[in-house]
Amino acid sequence: MGAGSSLPYRLRPNKAVDRELFLSMLMRLAPALSLEKHHYIGLGGPFLEDFRLVHARLGVARMTCIETEEEVHKRQLFNRPIASIECIHETLENYLDGHDFECPAIVWLDYTEPKAITEQIERFARTIGMVPMGSILRITLNANPESLGKPLPNDISVEVGDAASGDRALKPTVQEWRLARFKERVGQLFPSGLSPEGMTHKTYGSSILRVVKLAVEKEALNFRDRQVVWSLATHYKDGQAMVTAALVVCPADDNSIRDILDGWEFRSTPDAPHRLDMPALSTLERLTMESDDDARAKLAFSLPKSDMGEDPIDVFKKFYRIYPHFSRVEL
Amino acid sequence: MTKPTTDRAEASPTKRFFVSMLTRDINLADAILDLLDNCLDGALRLADGGDVDYAQHFVKIELTADHFSIEDNCGGIPRDVAKNYAFKMGREPDDDRDSDSETIGMYGVGMKRAIFKMGREALVRTRYGDDTFEVPITSAWLEAKGWDPLPINEPTEVNEQLAEPGTVIRVDELYDGVARHFANEAFENEVRTAIAEHFTMFLQWGLKVDLNGTPVEPVFVEVLVSDRADGPAPFVFQKTIDDVLVSITVGLNTGRSLGNDDDEDSGFERDRSSATAGWTVLCNDRAVIVGDKSRLTGWGDGIPLYHPQFAILTGIIEFRSKVADKLPVTTTKRALDTSSNVWLESLVKMKEGMRVWISYTNQWKNHPRADQSNFWEDSKPLSLGKTIAAVALRTDVKKSESQIEFNPQKAKVLPEPPGKTPSSRRIVFSRPTEELRLVSKMLFDIDDEKPGIIGEKCFELTLAKAVKQGV
Repeated sequence: MGAGSSLPYRLRPNKAVDRELFLSMLMRLAPALSLEKHHYIGLGGPFLEDFRLVHARLGVARMTCIETEEEVHKRQLFNRPIASIECIHETLENYLDGHDFECPAIVWLDYTEPKAITEQIERFARTIGMVPMGSILRITLNANPESLGKPLPNDISVEVGDAASGDRALKPTVQEWRLARFKERVGQLFPSGLSPEGMTHKTYGSSILRVVKLAVEKEALNFRDRQVVWSLATHYKDGQAMVTAALVVCPADDNSIRDILDGWEFRSTPDAPHRLDMPALSTLERLTMESDDDARAKLAFSLPKSDMGEDPIDVFKKFYRIYPHFSRVEL
Repeated sequence: MTKPTTDRAEASPTKRFFVSMLTRDINLADAILDLLDNCLDGALRLADGGDVDYAQHFVKIELTADHFSIEDNCGGIPRDVAKNYAFKMGREPDDDRDSDSETIGMYGVGMKRAIFKMGREALVRTRYGDDTFEVPITSAWLEAKGWDPLPINEPTEVNEQLAEPGTVIRVDELYDGVARHFANEAFENEVRTAIAEHFTMFLQWGLKVDLNGTPVEPVFVEVLVSDRADGPAPFVFQKTIDDVLVSITVGLNTGRSLGNDDDEDSGFERDRSSATAGWTVLCNDRAVIVGDKSRLTGWGDGIPLYHPQFAILTGIIEFRSKVADKLPVTTTKRALDTSSNVWLESLVKMKEGMRVWISYTNQWKNHPRADQSNFWEDSKPLSLGKTIAAVALRTDVKKSESQIEFNPQKAKVLPEPPGKTPSSRRIVFSRPTEELRLVSKMLFDIDDEKPGIIGEKCFELTLAKAVKQGV
């Protein structure tokens, strides 16, 4: 687990929005799927915040938290906000392999390790055939293209428009180099025709989500009793870039869940994920942006843009309702 | 003693048996590739023995939940061929089309098999020169008992015409399983990848293949060749065996530049070797097999089984002949006839080439990527044809009238690792992440140094101690 994952949420507004989107999706589906009876399985981190929220909002009673590191596991036992949360010291893979799904589940495969994305994606895809109807699956994956490795400076050339370095014919650009590594990493799941343009900070998340979609669709071909309904996909960044995709496993002949999701303003699929990329805002900035129709003129300065290249004001306008507001509390 | 009677026992095949036998042999993606093969054979016939300008040709394929279609401008079907051969199940001995061009169709089943595999209603519309006509294959015909000839209809409306000579095949009333596949994005990706790999040569020559509106890009299968006459180069062999020109090369691919230091700790479960590692087999420019890593191409048969260590190796073999049935392929055209003489004789040379590179990767196994890169700096990836042309110019190539052969190991052009000590042994072990982090922090003041480096430094420390104590 990377160092970034234990940062508190208040320093990671985009991750907080991402989680809020997921919770609001669950709330939307709760009445139709009776989510309170589902079994929630996930990785809680030392503070089990997701577990607390899922329990508070949905009333899910049966919850299992998996953790590989012993010290973190002990800390979870100490911190666990609700006594009914079962904390297990095990890898998620071993737990799932040894688990029989007796009731529908909400499984969040919250991965951070970039090197293993292929196994992670394959695991996610495989799980759609193992869970009962009405289950919800979610995956989080590292979407930083630099995780594909760094070429030696001598191994690459550069090209911008018509201008290129002298050894362009012999050496790849950094994007071409990454594409070759990506191809090695994902093997048979490689989306045919994917070009080096899909290997930039801005586009890499979408490329990974394409792989996720292909893997799941491929697996879905094996089952005639069920269909997969994509419900939420996000690409966010605070610190590390991450992508997420969530889906509902539904009976093949039942479109009621699809209809419910179609009516949800935040429904998104791996083809067009929400791009969450907002800078930290002061309280005054936030209130101005919420209350003023023409915030851009009022602010009279540009908010910083990140690698993902989204306009912060547009992103804020879309998600202001669930944008978190943190302030200091002295205990 | 018996005597003949006037009674006869019916011995002709039933249509149902025939159709189900025929379609069982082939998978859905291959059936689509068969249709693409037919388009290309059309383009070859159109050129009438001359060079084909593939950039002038297109093939458009549509896969949807309710129909399949493939459209080309590759010359169309002449009416007498349609009347006598094209819709027959199997090829007649008197069908002497293509006796002097390098087409690949030989059994005359591709189109029918593909249609029967997909659905119950089909329409083949074609224009040859200015003659346009269409042949419907209906479910009524499929279900009827006899083998009545199919009708040939002529267009009466403008929208039944074709803009240029070519053929459109449309299949409707798809079988359930087929419809599910055609609507599935992963299946589309599989077909796209298969076209990109198997028809890579034609795509590189400019053929435009559109799949559901998006052009298919070729996948390049290439090996590294150095510009210098004494620089590293692949194994090369070329000879005519049984009227078939066989060309072979084995070398390093461009995939992973010679071993990736970052992956040292990855185990077999991480192995998703690139598709082009292993053997690619071409027959008259079609890739019959791509990236084979099995016993079929010699792995594990007198040489080691395929292993991730060999992911940087690519072998390409090409068979070329004007006599289609001399080529070592089966009726599905996507599999090899491994008992043919030409294949067996070639396999010996393929393995010889592989041995060169297997021992090369063994030598370099425990050396950092950077050491090796210098030697390959001026090399570039080339296709089979260009590789042979480039290597044939070298002075140490063995050339005779009937064959060309170059063995880089014998020519001593392969780089050797610096300071190679024959007594080196490899140490492998694993420890929990928490412990690695602790040791990493102590040694390097960061908690995520690569496990390999941590292990090596630990060994160095202990070694220094051991030397000091003079044990």
